[in-house]
Amino acid sequence: MRNKPKVVWIQALTCNGNTQSLLSSNASRFEQFLNQFELVYHPSLTHHTTLNDVLQSNASYDFLLIEGALTSNTQFLTLSDQSSTAIVEKLIKRSHYVIAVGSCASYGGVHAKFEHNDDVVGVQSVVGKKSACKSGHDTINLTGCPVHPEWILQTLYTLKAKGNIALDDEQRPIELYSHLAHHGCTRNEYFEWKVESKSFGLKEGCLFYEQGCRGPMTHSSCNKILWNDTSSKTRVGMPCIGCTETDFPRENMLETKKNIGIPAEVPLGISKRAYLSLTGIAKTFKIERLIGKLIDENR
Amino acid sequence: MKTVDIIERIEGEAKLNLHWKNNRVNDAYIEFLNFRGFEYMLEGKAPLDALVYTPRMCGICGQAHLLATVNALEDCYKNANIELHVTAKAKILRELGLIIEIVQSHIKWFYFFIMPDINAASMTPRKEFEPLKGQQWLKAQRASSEITKALALFAGQWPHTSYMVPGGVMCDPTHMDMILVENYIDQTIAYFEKELVGMEMQNYLTLSQTDDLKLLKGDIKSFLKMSFEQSLEKIGQSYNRFFVISDACGFHKGKIRLKNVSKFEMNKIKEHDDFTFELNSKIQKKEKYGWAKTVKYDNLFYETGPLARAMTQNRRFIKQLHKTYDDSVLTRVMARVDEIAYLLQTAKTMLHTLDISEESYIAPKTALKEINSTFGTGFIEATRGALKHELIIHEGKIKSYDVVTPTVWNLGPGEKPDYGVAQKALIGLNSLQEATIVLRSFDVCSVCTTH
Repeated sequence: MRNKPKVVWIQALTCNGNTQSLLSSNASRFEQFLNQFELVYHPSLTHHTTLNDVLQSNASYDFLLIEGALTSNTQFLTLSDQSSTAIVEKLIKRSHYVIAVGSCASYGGVHAKFEHNDDVVGVQSVVGKKSACKSGHDTINLTGCPVHPEWILQTLYTLKAKGNIALDDEQRPIELYSHLAHHGCTRNEYFEWKVESKSFGLKEGCLFYEQGCRGPMTHSSCNKILWNDTSSKTRVGMPCIGCTETDFPRENMLETKKNIGIPAEVPLGISKRAYLSLTGIAKTFKIERLIGKLIDENR
Repeated sequence: MKTVDIIERIEGEAKLNLHWKNNRVNDAYIEFLNFRGFEYMLEGKAPLDALVYTPRMCGICGQAHLLATVNALEDCYKNANIELHVTAKAKILRELGLIIEIVQSHIKWFYFFIMPDINAASMTPRKEFEPLKGQQWLKAQRASSEITKALALFAGQWPHTSYMVPGGVMCDPTHMDMILVENYIDQTIAYFEKELVGMEMQNYLTLSQTDDLKLLKGDIKSFLKMSFEQSLEKIGQSYNRFFVISDACGFHKGKIRLKNVSKFEMNKIKEHDDFTFELNSKIQKKEKYGWAKTVKYDNLFYETGPLARAMTQNRRFIKQLHKTYDDSVLTRVMARVDEIAYLLQTAKTMLHTLDISEESYIAPKTALKEINSTFGTGFIEATRGALKHELIIHEGKIKSYDVVTPTVWNLGPGEKPDYGVAQKALIGLNSLQEATIVLRSFDVCSVCTTH
């Protein structure tokens, strides 16, 4: 690969959230990215190049990044007078790697919930898992609504350095998606001892039992690579809504589905029976520090 | 003569359809061809799921959508006669989130969206404003990503958090968290002072005359120089009617039709789709030319957004600029920049009144999904202006959801001679370059316009 790989970013059915996420990157990292890669085209950022320029050129691009779900239905979306599907089909042949940026580009995401258009799909549905891109590398899905900006940068840097990246069953980079959102959550001690949060708006307690938190079954490094270099949803008290998994968005996201008081789904990799036994035992402990307020300034 | 141009760098894409006569625009249509159908997606969903869906209508102003949803859901309780308590702390943490979102968006808009065009059209373009390369462009990215950390301290992340919920907020920040939030606000104030206006913010906030423009230094000075060179104080005028939908964040709800601010009646806000594509038709009727709807108050178009807010709020500097230059591109850009200072100061005041010992969240007595039938409306000022959410709950599910976004007010379609706000501002211009800058002065967001 040349010293300064060329990056083209296009947008289809999107809310612009992944672009906003990228722009919220750590500033030093973002500047480094701009120095070491050439962002040839981005609909919100580049000034001298238009999408038409890109489409009419014969140039090869190292990275084709796609934000948003694709549709061939021109009733609901045309870009430069073409369908988003047609644009991707054209550009993929001229690109070394194709990366779906965000859940919408990966599998349709929120936009696939618009039932009047039954043709809202992710990139791999158009170009295939074994994509026709020049390197022959599988289509890479960076799921997340939005995707974490570091996940984009680390994927680009890794491909630049190594030429390929190991993917999981959902075509996501293993290094970024092997962790669960649960890993690194500051509420983990509450999870271990089955101390549930009494309500929203508290530092104390686990959000898994009542508030619908998907941390223990969601592949994502949100609590390992913090958002905005600062925090994560679960750290502040918002349950994980599982936005990196292909069943997002689900129904009743802010409550835990239960059968006879037992969560319908248990943490990944453990049988329900084992989980219940463990819960029973953990609950027999009365751990004083987990019962009261974490910070009591009147002490 | 007719020309059709595709406009990018507006958070999506739009088509600018201009009709020329004697080298001037004598008819203009703005086409938005992207439709995602959020209102349809929400039908049949659990009411609280709206908190997850609506921020995703727009990745740029997700917090505004979240707050509008929360306000609408809380209004559902009110209309069902169920008492709800929301603490002052929760209200501050919500509005603070919105303020941070607006501030970082204004910074990005100025450097990433409007300055590159004005700079490129200048006789003396400066490389510090060059997208992706220029020092001032890069500093803007740094400043906007830094202040977003303040939001992440209590919202977990940005974009796309849903930390607000009927009854309060999900977070419970510590004293130190909030001190850190203030540190980031102060850092942004320092950025505003050093890079944008070249003077202390307190001094900036005392500016009150058009002549005071001469006192400005920093990048605003460059902007002004280029603007006067390109006569941006003389173009972009529309109806000179302004509309502000909410008092939150210290704004002043009201409308200005002739001169003074007056109250408005919510039921006079009417949305229609005379020019809007039909959902169930592959071949659209001739008069329909895009996915944007039209919204009017009392059958008149009104401009919404930072300029409208400065006008109803009587912020002196912008009022004087408006007196001199009307609702021109220059006034509109200055209103947006001026709002950064106003909001940073408001954020400081809010932080000083925040009582961290209050409850973050007080659970409503009944869950929304247990309410058989109710309805609610939520109003909020988003980055680009008036935002309204309205929903009906039936048998515990969302029966219908309607959203009127700021860009529907400003960019929604009209037809000769009753043009929409931005459409009217385009009439009479004498180049595509001017038309692009005028259109951009409304902070166009295609995804927000069509949602």
